[in-house]
Amino acid sequence: MTDHQPQDESPTATGPVISCSDLRRRFGEGGAAVDALAGVSLEFPKGELTAIVGPSGSGKSTLLHILAGLDRPTDGSVWIDGIEITALDDRELTDLRRDKLGFVFQFFNLVPVLTAEENLVLPVKIAGRRPDPVRVDGLLETVGMTDRRTHRPSELSGGQQQRVSIARALVTRPAVVFADEPTGNLDSKSGADVLGLLRQAVDEFEQTVVMVTHDPRIASYADRVIVLVDGVVTHDGRVQSADEVHALMQIE
Amino acid sequence: MFALTVRGVVARKTRGFLTALAVFFGVAMIAGTLMLTDSVNNSFDDIFSESNSAVDVSIKTRETIEDSRGALPPAFDAAVLESVRAVDGVAEAAGSIFDPTVSVLDEQGQRVGLTGPPHFAVGAVPDRFSPFNYIEGRPPETADEMAIDNFTAERESWTVGDTARVAGTGTAKTYVISGVARWGSGVELLGASLAILTLPEAQRLTGKQEKFDEVVVAAEEGVAPEELKLAVQRAIPTSLEALTGEENAAEESQEFKGGFGIISNSLLAFGLIALFVGGFIIFNTFSITVAQRTREFGMLRTLGAHRRQILGTVLLEAAIVGLVASALGILGGIGFVAGIIALFQSFGLDIPSSGLVISPRTVSIALLVGVLVTIAASLAPARRATRVTPLEALREPGGSHRPSRRRTTVAVVLLVLAVLAIAWGMFGTDSVGSAFIFLGPGILLLFLGVALLSGRLVGPLSGLIGWPLERLGGVPGQLARENTQRNKSRTATTAAALMIGLALVVFVATFASALNKSATEALDRQFSSDLILSNSDQFTRIPTQTAEAVRGIEGVAFVSPVAHGNARVQGVSGTQAVSGLNPESVVSAFNLDWREGSDATLAELGDTGAIIEADWGKDNSVAVGDVILLTTPTGRDASYTVRGSVRDKPGLLLSTFAVSRDSLLRNFGVDGDSYTLVGFIESANPDEVEARIDDELAAAFPTVESRSRAELEADNRQQLNQILVLIYALLALSILIAIFGVVNTLILTIHERTREIGMLRAIGTSKRQVRRMIRYESVITAMIGAIIGAGVGLALAIVSVQALSSEGLVLSIPYPLIVTLLLLAAVAGVAAAIAPARRASKTNIIEALLYE
Repeated sequence: MTDHQPQDESPTATGPVISCSDLRRRFGEGGAAVDALAGVSLEFPKGELTAIVGPSGSGKSTLLHILAGLDRPTDGSVWIDGIEITALDDRELTDLRRDKLGFVFQFFNLVPVLTAEENLVLPVKIAGRRPDPVRVDGLLETVGMTDRRTHRPSELSGGQQQRVSIARALVTRPAVVFADEPTGNLDSKSGADVLGLLRQAVDEFEQTVVMVTHDPRIASYADRVIVLVDGVVTHDGRVQSADEVHALMQIE
Repeated sequence: MFALTVRGVVARKTRGFLTALAVFFGVAMIAGTLMLTDSVNNSFDDIFSESNSAVDVSIKTRETIEDSRGALPPAFDAAVLESVRAVDGVAEAAGSIFDPTVSVLDEQGQRVGLTGPPHFAVGAVPDRFSPFNYIEGRPPETADEMAIDNFTAERESWTVGDTARVAGTGTAKTYVISGVARWGSGVELLGASLAILTLPEAQRLTGKQEKFDEVVVAAEEGVAPEELKLAVQRAIPTSLEALTGEENAAEESQEFKGGFGIISNSLLAFGLIALFVGGFIIFNTFSITVAQRTREFGMLRTLGAHRRQILGTVLLEAAIVGLVASALGILGGIGFVAGIIALFQSFGLDIPSSGLVISPRTVSIALLVGVLVTIAASLAPARRATRVTPLEALREPGGSHRPSRRRTTVAVVLLVLAVLAIAWGMFGTDSVGSAFIFLGPGILLLFLGVALLSGRLVGPLSGLIGWPLERLGGVPGQLARENTQRNKSRTATTAAALMIGLALVVFVATFASALNKSATEALDRQFSSDLILSNSDQFTRIPTQTAEAVRGIEGVAFVSPVAHGNARVQGVSGTQAVSGLNPESVVSAFNLDWREGSDATLAELGDTGAIIEADWGKDNSVAVGDVILLTTPTGRDASYTVRGSVRDKPGLLLSTFAVSRDSLLRNFGVDGDSYTLVGFIESANPDEVEARIDDELAAAFPTVESRSRAELEADNRQQLNQILVLIYALLALSILIAIFGVVNTLILTIHERTREIGMLRAIGTSKRQVRRMIRYESVITAMIGAIIGAGVGLALAIVSVQALSSEGLVLSIPYPLIVTLLLLAAVAGVAAAIAPARRASKTNIIEALLYE
């Protein structure tokens, strides 16, 4: 990042980084219509790791997509860093994603023809900026990929690929990092590593992270767990253990 | 993004290579043709400026109308030389002969070299003017000596002291070879032979006693050629033209360049066809890879890449592939030049090339065309890539393909436009030039429309072709059929590339077969003579005395010579070829189809009467009773009154109008007949009469050969076939590109289906079965292309023949050829599947199932 880049922490540091009100999302029409979200209002303060959990079909992925501006709600609005993103057009949304959001995917989604380091700096390059070598080295160090920086994705394990993709999500110092089942495709050891990295980002860099998972054990690492069932929030708060999350997900 | 694109191209080498191949061939053809044209033009420029280097001023007959049979403008009176010598500033002047109507004969009395290129009789000029360098011996000094050009000498293994016979308008004669000479730096003049004779002997042999074809002049020191030219022009009749040596060189060179221009334009057209076919392959490759990279594009969009950036990266990839392919294509062009020279050589045409010229123009045109075609073909897939939503990055890999409904609409619009353009080109316009302007794009639109629409035909056709394969190959056969239907538009585009080449081959073959049939039918209908006498080169005129000589032979009932000359006719645009008939004998030789008048009309033809071809008369508003005003090549004005009209399609005897042969020979400066028809007495033994005629010809007119109607028909067919083979050879490249397209699609789809193939293997499908599945898939795709192509080609040919039915064209469909083509397409399908099938059968089951 270049020096004159505005620092994210200044004006809205006290308010929520993301908020949404009365989000609704309906798929299909008429009798076959399904309400994936049936009125969801939430606020996400800065520097918190939030897990959205729920059984499949609960609407948790839809919620993440809409919060991240990848999908549009049928009704309701989303603000990120004081901007109402539900009112933005495609160009503005693209710029917002580029400058303020980071993503971690279930299937890593690294570009197969680029090396680990090249994948890491891709968002900066897309924005037409020059990556800051110090920051890149720091991130590689953080995710433990310094000695594999020239490897292609096909030469990396799943856990390593996901660590690169976390570094990629952090490289632009985004306001929020969204993670969609970040451990879904990993063995438990690698999954724990990846989660540790996200935790570290929140604790050390005051990064805001919102992740979707169906794994209660993973969710128990979060500062806050939101349970979604049939498009409605049924729990919102701290949890002590995986068992508690598991129990919350069973409640009708 | 730039680095990402470059990396992508480098990483996907196989795909890039196959895509580049599609552009490579077309660019190689275009670049090669441009190089060849430049080289040939350079050679001509060099050779003529060299041969004119000592000439300050050249005098020739002013050419007003070009001759249809390649003859130079008529020779002029030798007395001009004296007037020129008297001009101030002239140091030396000499008359010369340069006549393309002779035949150099070998020991067997056969014309040397190949059919087509002319043989020249050249009158030796003083050393300073001579364009020849003697490799061996010396110029001819007596009337019994000749020198020969080095290429002919080499072909015939002639050296100084050997003898050779040369036939011309005057009596043929055997000469002792006094020398072997090279024209200038020794570049071959499109396979021509040169016989150098002393000036008086050249004049005698060509029937140009007391005449010259050219007078060459050297200026005194200090006199500028330009100045001398003006002075000379004042001293000679206005029917003659004085040019400076430089002007003369340029003009002579231009004439040969024009001859080559036709060849280079046709080659360029074939190059464009190849590029057009290549465009389909590029379109298909990019469509498939864009589909396969959906998640990658979605991910880039989530990372904040704009649609414009996605568009940019795909187009940049296209540009890189296009640029590399075009650069290689330019190198390939060098190989194409060698191939073309060899191809034309095998047809008897030597292309002069003193050195390969790669001009900046060639390089820039080749690069530009190659890159533009690649980018244009990838535009639609690139736009599709921009429509990938960020959400698609989060989906499970794989995904469904929805066929586009807009495709059909676009196809229908294109087809309607194509039909309009083709119809207008065929029926709506009279000029050949504007007909082509509509026909060319019309046919391209037709191909595009059919290609887009053929997705609809894939279902039924693959069912039809797949049925026997399924019976033969069981489950793999069934899977192959289903696979070709899985993404119909992809199969359709792959097949379409092959469709174009086959459509063109079928069209050309059907059209040629129609030409052949109508020519044969016209001969049967109109031709009532036993023999036709013509020059053994099938082009140059034969001496008028031939007719007289043959008339006296025992068993000959009639002899009817036919001459042709060009004229410019008042009120009619372009040069018109006028026939000269012998009014007494033509009715015996031809069945004339009178519209107005009768055979008796010919008796009233006299010196100023004419008969017109009925359609020509209608097109040019000339009717019986009208007066035709015309200017002949000698610059003479003449008028003829129309006495009658006949219908003659396709113009065997007359294509415009005919006058009496005596009048034509006198007014048009024509000194020979195009051909002479001979009929036998019924009681005579035809073989014996023919033998007697052949003996007479061999003795007195060695340039003339006799052919029966059957021989004439066979020769016509053979000539047409030669051209066909040439066209097929050039279209073969387009078909080759299309076959690479099939390989490309197969490899890409196999890559896409790795997991599926692994699954098939896991549940017990053998490697052989996997190979068979791919092979059948390839055969089905190729056959779809071939069937649609044959249909389109036939349809085009039928419409064209119909459009030209008034010109006497009759439809004749070459079924055996079409069936052969379909079988060849199946074989090509098998061949295209070899590498992809092997690759698919090597799929590692475990890896494939983990494949993501």
